[in-house]
Amino acid sequence: MKRTYEEINQKIKKGDAVVMTAEEAIELVQREGVAKATKEVDVVTTGTFGAMCSSGAFINFGHSEPPIKMTKVWLNDVPAYTGIAAVDAYIGATELREDGNMEYGGAHVIEDLIARRPVRLRAISYGTDCYPRKEIDTYISLMTVNQAYMFNPRNAYQNYGVATNSSERTLFTYMGKLLPKFGNATYSSAGQLSPLLKDPHLRTIGIGTRIFLGGAQGYVAWEGTQYRTTTPERNGVPIGASRTLAVIGDLREMSTEFVRALTYHKYGTTLGVGIGVPIPILDEDLMRSAAVRDEEIFAPVLDYAVASRDRLPIHEVSYAELRSGSIEISGKRVRTSSLSSYAKARQIAETLKDWIQKGEFLLTEKVASLPEERSMRRLDMRSREEVS
Amino acid sequence: MAVRKYLLTFTPENVSEPITYRLVKEFDLMVNILRAEVDESGGRLMIVLEGSGMQIERAVRYLEASHVQVQELKEYIRKDEARCTHCGACISICPVRAFVMDGKTFKVSFLNEKCIACGMCVDACPPGAIRLRAQV
Repeated sequence: MKRTYEEINQKIKKGDAVVMTAEEAIELVQREGVAKATKEVDVVTTGTFGAMCSSGAFINFGHSEPPIKMTKVWLNDVPAYTGIAAVDAYIGATELREDGNMEYGGAHVIEDLIARRPVRLRAISYGTDCYPRKEIDTYISLMTVNQAYMFNPRNAYQNYGVATNSSERTLFTYMGKLLPKFGNATYSSAGQLSPLLKDPHLRTIGIGTRIFLGGAQGYVAWEGTQYRTTTPERNGVPIGASRTLAVIGDLREMSTEFVRALTYHKYGTTLGVGIGVPIPILDEDLMRSAAVRDEEIFAPVLDYAVASRDRLPIHEVSYAELRSGSIEISGKRVRTSSLSSYAKARQIAETLKDWIQKGEFLLTEKVASLPEERSMRRLDMRSREEVS
Repeated sequence: MAVRKYLLTFTPENVSEPITYRLVKEFDLMVNILRAEVDESGGRLMIVLEGSGMQIERAVRYLEASHVQVQELKEYIRKDEARCTHCGACISICPVRAFVMDGKTFKVSFLNEKCIACGMCVDACPPGAIRLRAQV
């Protein structure tokens, strides 16, 4: 049983496509088996909503009179990167105000923009013949700027480690608040709903894949940073952090429902981003992987008391165990918290399903594949000679 | 039987009064101290009083007569539903399981009656949906 993108898109246009969320596909495969489910289903939709630090937005402010070549820019007092053309800037989600306040950062600027709230723009310049102005202090909004688009170098991690803390003190990490002596454990994947876990070798996901991004239609732009394919697998799914996506989409079409500023106490700010990817069911293999369940997806438990890149997994747990509310670590029941919202992941998968069923969202065949082999490199102290 | 939560504020003058002893001995109340703090401005005591409604009312009148400021804490923590993303970061850090993840909807609800006002959830909430209503 084979199916092509063209066939699927024809069905979507006619309103005949059979679309299911990953949760519904799991049920169907359990009930009917892979062969029958493959015949029945055209597209499986996925979703995830979680903290995605490597996020940000490019903005073109338009020219002032007289014009200015902005060398330093602050948006609501958060610095934006301006080492690009005169009135372009990139605001990163984790950039903080310079007063050391961790409660408001680039993520909040992005959320304010999407919420159509005014944002104060301050910029300074050294002044040039063509750009004589040396400073500007004004307000912008999503309505006044030329372009505002999200470009996130690393989103939608394919699986991730579970965090816990063996030390005597509370740790404040990007995996949330970790209580002393294995007081809790946190995890951050939508598991059986998570996009890259449903097509684990990215047969259908690559450059140009149209996706759900922050409530709008966006695209996969590139491999994400820290993309790696060497993570061991179980049930065909990587156990731990593996592939990632760089994604792009128009901020103007997004919604604060799916783009939310987050603050991790004593760590910093980050952006909660909602991503959904449609998986075309081209054959039985894709149906099989799209129907992988939480029971079959595993993650390593890492001790964040070890402040090293070489943390060894102390345990391995399935998402079904994680979602049950507690896991066992060295004979102790440890309560679990999710950092990614399963409720929103489900909402995203359902929204994407709805768009496809209504014919508003067509599937794209990837323009180029993401790497099949990529390992993670480390940053070590090296001399000039060692790197040349 | 009634269970009520109070924030008592003491002046430097009455901070040494054996208030809790009297609440137990004279008013026959079950007293559970949630938080206690003393500094140069006086003291703050967060307690749960358990007894009949009448007993608690009498005890409150006694406290007020002793110049202790009494504030009932009906709602110490407030969860902003519009801000909450239902991630669940609050679930495992709450010592009394006042936050519950619904197994069907995967939405998080807050059970005010279970809350002991420890405040541990406040800085654990990434979208900032959990706020304190009273400071201790």
